[in-house]
Amino acid sequence: MTYNIMPQKDLMYSGHVGCPGCGASIAMKFALRALGEKTIMVIPACCWAIIAGPHPQTSLKVPILHTAFETAGAASSGLRAALDMQGDRETTIVAWAGDGGTFDIGFQALSGAAERNEDFIYVCYDNEAYMNTGVQRSSSTPFGARTTTTPGQGWKQRRKKNIVEALAAHRIPYAATASIAFPEDMIRKFQKAREMKGGTRFIHVYATCPTGWRVPTEMCIKIARLAVQTNFFPLYEVEEGIRYTINHKGNRQVKEYMSTQGRFKHLNDDDYAQIQQMVDADWDLLGRKAKM
Amino acid sequence: MREVLEGSHAVSEAVRLAKVQVISAYPITPQTHIVEALAQFCAEGSMDARFICVESEHSAMAAVIGASTGGARTFTATSSHGLALMHELLHWASGARLPIVMAEVNRALGPGWNIWMDQSDSLAQRDTGWIQLYCEDGQEVMDTTLQAFRLAEIVNLPVMVVLDAFFLSHTYEPVDVPEQELVDRFLPPFVPKIRLDTNNPFALYQMAPPSVYMEMRHDIQMAMEQVEPLFKEIEDEFGSIFGRKYGAADGVDCEDADIILVLAGTAASTCRQVISELRERGEKVGMVKLKMFRPFPKALFRSLLGNAKKVAVIDRNYSFGATGIFAQEIRAALYNHTNRPPVFGYITGLGGRDVTPEILEEIFKMTKERVTPEAESVWVGLNKHLNEMQPDPDKQ
Amino acid sequence: MSSEQTISRKIPLYISRSEITTEVNKTGSWRFARPGYDEKTAPCSRICPAGEDIARIEMLASRGLFQNAWETILLENPLPAVCGRVCFHTCESACNRQELDQSLAIHQVERFIGDMAIREAFPVSELVQRDYRNNSTSEKRIAVVGAGPAGVAAAWFLALMGYGCDIFEAEDEPGGVLRWGIPAYRLPANILQNEISRIKKLDVNICCNSKITETFIENAKEKYDAVFIGCGYGRSFTMGIAGEHMASDGLSFLRDLRKQTEACANYSKCAVIGGGNTAIDVARSLVRIGASPVLIYRRRQQDMPAFTHEVEMALEEGVQFVELFTPVSIEENKGGYLLKLQKMKMAGIKGRDGRERVVPDGNNGDTMQVSRVFTAIGAEPEEPWYNLPEENEELLRLSHCVFWNQELPVIFGGDLTTPRKSVADAIASGKQAAMALDTLFYEGADAIEGRINGCRVGTGSALSMEVYLAGQRKGRNPHTVLFQEINIDYFLPAQRQSPLTAPPERRVDNFDEVEQTLDEESVTAETLRCFNCGICNDCDNCRLFCPEVAIAPDKKRSINLDYCKGCGICVVECPRNAMSLEEEKI
Repeated sequence: MTYNIMPQKDLMYSGHVGCPGCGASIAMKFALRALGEKTIMVIPACCWAIIAGPHPQTSLKVPILHTAFETAGAASSGLRAALDMQGDRETTIVAWAGDGGTFDIGFQALSGAAERNEDFIYVCYDNEAYMNTGVQRSSSTPFGARTTTTPGQGWKQRRKKNIVEALAAHRIPYAATASIAFPEDMIRKFQKAREMKGGTRFIHVYATCPTGWRVPTEMCIKIARLAVQTNFFPLYEVEEGIRYTINHKGNRQVKEYMSTQGRFKHLNDDDYAQIQQMVDADWDLLGRKAKM
Repeated sequence: MREVLEGSHAVSEAVRLAKVQVISAYPITPQTHIVEALAQFCAEGSMDARFICVESEHSAMAAVIGASTGGARTFTATSSHGLALMHELLHWASGARLPIVMAEVNRALGPGWNIWMDQSDSLAQRDTGWIQLYCEDGQEVMDTTLQAFRLAEIVNLPVMVVLDAFFLSHTYEPVDVPEQELVDRFLPPFVPKIRLDTNNPFALYQMAPPSVYMEMRHDIQMAMEQVEPLFKEIEDEFGSIFGRKYGAADGVDCEDADIILVLAGTAASTCRQVISELRERGEKVGMVKLKMFRPFPKALFRSLLGNAKKVAVIDRNYSFGATGIFAQEIRAALYNHTNRPPVFGYITGLGGRDVTPEILEEIFKMTKERVTPEAESVWVGLNKHLNEMQPDPDKQ
Repeated sequence: MSSEQTISRKIPLYISRSEITTEVNKTGSWRFARPGYDEKTAPCSRICPAGEDIARIEMLASRGLFQNAWETILLENPLPAVCGRVCFHTCESACNRQELDQSLAIHQVERFIGDMAIREAFPVSELVQRDYRNNSTSEKRIAVVGAGPAGVAAAWFLALMGYGCDIFEAEDEPGGVLRWGIPAYRLPANILQNEISRIKKLDVNICCNSKITETFIENAKEKYDAVFIGCGYGRSFTMGIAGEHMASDGLSFLRDLRKQTEACANYSKCAVIGGGNTAIDVARSLVRIGASPVLIYRRRQQDMPAFTHEVEMALEEGVQFVELFTPVSIEENKGGYLLKLQKMKMAGIKGRDGRERVVPDGNNGDTMQVSRVFTAIGAEPEEPWYNLPEENEELLRLSHCVFWNQELPVIFGGDLTTPRKSVADAIASGKQAAMALDTLFYEGADAIEGRINGCRVGTGSALSMEVYLAGQRKGRNPHTVLFQEINIDYFLPAQRQSPLTAPPERRVDNFDEVEQTLDEESVTAETLRCFNCGICNDCDNCRLFCPEVAIAPDKKRSINLDYCKGCGICVVECPRNAMSLEEEKI
């Protein structure tokens, strides 16, 4: 178990068309450092479908299978079966999808794959909206956010779907959250997932989108860190759907995180108080699960 | 070895003999017997394959697409709404140039729910770039499925093997099940032209800008244009090993026929008998059983139909706002031809309604009695009273 | 027969598939802002009178590169083992870390490094910059008067530049105030000797028992190209009270103790007049020889110029303290002395030196019967000719030195000229003198001020020899890093390491060192607390977080401007503000 050593080799090329300060690019970079060369990425429609490069380019040093929007879970299942039938047990299949292709349109295929406990790693890099198509809301968009389909006073009044809980309910061997602002933790989790062959491993990565969240590009990591430090996006792991481990205890107020971003600019103190209550209640519940 | 097999099992036996490696399917009547048999083969070990019980047909097609890029020989089966749900990915499979073979059981589309024979489901997918081969009986199903893998893997296009719901899928017939050794001689192991490999990493199916997209689509058509001659070669080879051949279309008594009936599926079997009886009565009649629908064998149809005085196309399908689809395609094939007999379009047998010898005779009679068709499409066997019995919504 | 062989045809198969990488896209053209590696000035190094590159020293030490750390110190200060014991470490009060938990124990770390250098005999010869002036400097020779910290430092820095020096010391051992004025429990003699003897490995001779006279200076021009005078304050001030002659000079007492010629008679209660470090040294030394010293100071304890730490330890050791009293007269009495004292009070206004004034509190006074009276109220140069000449055009007053441009250039340094009388300032004056002389020889006197100003550490007055010699510190941004500019997310609170300190009861009967040197493990832990303000410490955050994979993983990092989109994440995630983001020039 080599969790403590930071792998140095990058399997990504420069020159990709990610926005300046793209958190998803950083997420992919860390993931590949941990996963290594014996990896095939399955990428449905999402920002990364574009960042991966148009024909005839590629921005990764591993093979990529681009697939239709909702098919990441199913295509990965098929690809895994094909490799198994040819005796390849070394290659790791990794589905790399955005929040849209995971929480919404891709949820069925993901749930099906998880229920079958397919042998692959499913990674959702979450920028909390349909960013590739212009910042429309998804079920991953947090309570309080403005998007182009929840504009103005119609800001999103529904909670963010708790995808890790939904996946944990499938009793898969491993589900975890990770953040680009905590590289050692994230790489450890990817290495752990890579070494746990045989079942479905799900990792939910928080990836700042400076373009869509309306924040300065250089604050990308700092803001991702604040999300964890305010318990807005807790870092934790769930094994077998029942054993919870919390990796970081935050102690700051959510307003500190949310007020940095243009997509929350319209919120007033009452809204913040309400959101703080929601975050505190969720954190409390998570804590109770970790003690069980 | 000769066995009495259900049509569905003719498919599953062929898939087993073809040594498919990855199967992914979602149950839908009347395809279920195919996949149940395959699941059994995988479980008992008579087939060395992975069977993925996916949670929808869309995922079934996605899974075989994934598996095919991984270098495995793949198969799936579906029908009706399942096929409709797969629609997006049918385009994807052909655009991806993957040699996937699918058994498609022709079933009607709802509402209302109708699990019986209808050609509309497969024909609605005629633009998706899949090769479509229609089968008449159990033997043909077995043989066509085996040929489909060979064809798909050479030309890198997916193939749909189509069989009638219940009339073919659930009827038992004597079928010659070939020996594995002979099948192996005909169908070698899959050597994929497209395969993802970490030793030689590349990306597949990424964004294609306007500067290249047209050329990629053109190549699909160019590949399609190779299918007809290739199919003939494959059939020749198949024939030399197994002694059977079908042809992209089968013409019966067409050379001197005045009227030629065109149809596909089990109704063609019925039609053979009707033609035979009509000929005995001195009628100059012939038939063409349509097997290959995509690519549409235009030249073949021109040569088979060109000398007739009238052509009667029987469609167990409809394209609303237009006509029966076989009729459409045949009219288009004949349009630029010098010998261009009028095409009478008949719609019958939708939603599992039987196409009896009587209906076929009536169609022949209607065709014979008129110089030109009374309508673009003539619906045969309609019970108009049913329409009249429905309560008037305005009076409620 | 395989069927594949009979049917073979070329099938058109043009699909979306990669053949090249995205490296063909030079995304650097997107930039509006450009990041760059821009090391800045740490507040500790800015305020250190010797201008040591402290942030870098701590960084090297944290990685176990103690010899490299020591070499970095030696470029600015030849006496780390000494300073690590006696320096007033103003660096620690400027340390940014104190805003998070506690300032870094820079003083203790320097001591460790200095001691290690002595123990492991780190070599010095490689430090000499022989190529600095194309090998021609070694012909010149400089006379250095006084082997105190200023003289030793001046000789060191001149030798670094390839000059030869002869140091003339009046006493029988070098060291000056370090040897004779500071007690052994603060600075053992062997440590000092080891540090000073290192300089003899370069082209430096130390001639003891060689007090220099005015005639020497007049004749020196035959043998020497310049003279540095660092004789310090050898003569103590007098109190100007009746019976003064019955008081003993504190500095002489300390010297006699070091020479072990002090008659350790039973002094019992003694008075020590003064509030500076010398007074404390006298008091604590008296404790150790069995006396009961009473420190008498005219102001309050908090006004004492002595190091607070020293005062605390003195009190722990039993030194009595009497504040707001000043001596009036001394009389012989009962085999000892009767000391008459005048009570003082705070005047409520500030004097010219910025300190609050004290005035006599009416007729209130006190008397004290003591066996000895010691004075330690300050000192002045011993010989009149050590004093600086009056203002004339040939004098150039620098911050720590005075340069007299004559036929034989003379430069005064050390306590004679420094604004603050400390070892670090003495070393700074030696460095400044060396730079002035070197500039004089090659560029002329008019260039001195400019050259020296060009070597300032940040916006402070300290000078860097490394910069003067065009070392890698030269390009450093003079902006002093503020605590707000440190990315605190990368630092967890951690306890400051403390050295083992002997309890008072174990200190009072010997002259052994009171504090131990930290061990290596503690030093590593302590230096890891350092923010390394403004200095790159190879944490690799920039490369780790770059979304464009545009930073090369070499020892010396570089940003590939062909691809850098100017997002600025590297700059923000550099925990120590060692990078800058500038507007891209279109």
